[in-house]
Amino acid sequence: MHVDPKREVAKSKGGRIGLVLLLIVVLTAIFAPLLSSHDPLVQTVQSFESPSWGHPLGTNHAGQDIWSQLVYGARTSLLVGLLVAMLSTILAALIGTSAALVGGVYDRVVMRLVDSFIVMPVIILLILLSVYVDPNLGSGAVTSIEFLIGIVIFGVSFYMVRSLGWIGLLIIGPIIALVILSRDLLPSTGGLIIILSLLCWQGGARTLRAQSLSLKERPHIAAARGFGGGTWYIMRRHIIPDLGPLLVADFVFTVRRAVFLQAGLAFLGIGDPNVVSWGSMISDAHEWIFLDAWRWWLVPAGVALSMTIIAITLIGSALESALDPRLRGEVSAQN
Amino acid sequence: MFTKQNLLTYLVALGIILTLNFFLPRMMPGDPLMAIYGDEALVQMSPELQTDLTERFALDQSLGSQFVSYWAGLLRGDLGYSYSYNAPVTEVIFGRLHWTLLLAGLALILSTMLGILLGIESGWRRGGRFDGGMISGMVGLSGFPDFFLGILLLLLFAVNLELLPLFGAEDAYSGLSGIDRLADIGEHLLLPLVALTLARLTGSYLLTRNTMIGVLKEPYILLARAKGLKPRTIKYRHAGRNSMLPVMTRTAIWVGRMVTGVLFIEIVFAYPGIGLLTYDALTFRDYPVLQGLLLVSALCVLGANFIVDLLYAKVDPRVNYAR
Repeated sequence: MHVDPKREVAKSKGGRIGLVLLLIVVLTAIFAPLLSSHDPLVQTVQSFESPSWGHPLGTNHAGQDIWSQLVYGARTSLLVGLLVAMLSTILAALIGTSAALVGGVYDRVVMRLVDSFIVMPVIILLILLSVYVDPNLGSGAVTSIEFLIGIVIFGVSFYMVRSLGWIGLLIIGPIIALVILSRDLLPSTGGLIIILSLLCWQGGARTLRAQSLSLKERPHIAAARGFGGGTWYIMRRHIIPDLGPLLVADFVFTVRRAVFLQAGLAFLGIGDPNVVSWGSMISDAHEWIFLDAWRWWLVPAGVALSMTIIAITLIGSALESALDPRLRGEVSAQN
Repeated sequence: MFTKQNLLTYLVALGIILTLNFFLPRMMPGDPLMAIYGDEALVQMSPELQTDLTERFALDQSLGSQFVSYWAGLLRGDLGYSYSYNAPVTEVIFGRLHWTLLLAGLALILSTMLGILLGIESGWRRGGRFDGGMISGMVGLSGFPDFFLGILLLLLFAVNLELLPLFGAEDAYSGLSGIDRLADIGEHLLLPLVALTLARLTGSYLLTRNTMIGVLKEPYILLARAKGLKPRTIKYRHAGRNSMLPVMTRTAIWVGRMVTGVLFIEIVFAYPGIGLLTYDALTFRDYPVLQGLLLVSALCVLGANFIVDLLYAKVDPRVNYAR
């Protein structure tokens, strides 16, 4: 797999457009406090104001500043999308490659579980879980989720810098900045991030297992085994690094799926109502559809969400065509 | 193709869902009746109904015997009792199913046919202007979440132009019958149908187009050209027909995902099918209905996958040779 993901994305037109769009969203999320002058959650009596200098997009039914909500909504979408993708890609890599390498009963049991999760209706399952599981985590749970995410990010940065050099730092840098800046969102979204990660890794595990099965027959793996390399060593030093581009593609498509799911759940009103999110903005605006406010309320939120998803799709397609030369110049059918 | 492996997958999936359905409410602290029905419903429930429900699901007995009576209920087709609808859960769900089948069924047929047609044309003119335009349009379209797309249509055609009705599946108490009633139902169906079709179009389009491009490189297409067949014959009969297979599989799988697929569209247009029922059950905290819906939607997915497995060998004979 001698594919250089960063070059492939930068080379394709779609990939470049996607990167630029995503960069806008990422920068908005990082510099949210500088871009807005109001707290997106503070309610005032000035509801349904039209756009003005003080409120560039007016105010909503609760008198909250819509522009601030839009800007801070980028944080929620990106935080959930990136962290879910990171956790679930790691799960997918560990489970997929170990199933391929260990084989036997372990492989069969794991793959049956993976298949059964793939056929399950995720949204309905999430709705049912949401009514039974208390969304407000205790402080202990929050600390352990923060700890887990910290370790994961540290591990991923280490791996990225080692395999990609300084470019790796350029990619992981904004993610670290984003997580640090929006860590006050973790108590209210931590549970969602964990549940979504547990529901999103199965597809990736399937692809990664298939690729590992073919990788493990290659001569250099046989050589490593001949020199006494154990399963864990081979997984860590040979298989997972060789899977690099595939991992990146899996990561990108999972970000997309998580952003979609987060927006959808927020639209349904599931989760903490005190989290600013494009999905809940659209849902609120839908209730006041008869007012003119949709022009500066509904449309900006929807466009921001769609733009983010389109950007991720474009990057993902560019990556996928890099992995499968038959698709060069094509668009992925993965939806 | 249908194998023992697939059967096992389906059984495991069903097992996980049933286990969740059984244990989630019973893991909650306090009275299981309260956990299953929610405290608000319990306050309004008559003592007779409470004892009846407790007895029917053996809620005052050990977890083991509760499990047995849970299964006995399932086998009888008894999914429990919905308090907010004051009716058995099966009745509530099946009373809504026809609207979802109408909406989802038509959207499925339309989006698949349109997707295949556009995909064939686009793949045939690969790299041309039509192809490029279609691709950009479709990628853009696929970025729009279905609920946003739905609300935009609602805004344009129902709120601003006032051409089409805002919500529901038909006018209540209109007393219409015959052709008039059908026209009314059609009017209400149009917007959600267009929204759902658009939301689903990209998938079948891209899949057909990509398959088409692969198929056009096959030797038998070259042979067909060499024979001097008309381009139209090659496009539709030789290449097009073979490009439909993956889309067919995908469509069948989507049939199984129907409940999730129509959820957002039905909410936006307040269309009274299964999706809206899910949302209402979530709002009213009607736990038995939600559990029933999870089970029904899981059964749909498993059933659809099962049928795909059976059909695939029939539609594509190569699958049988490969075995």
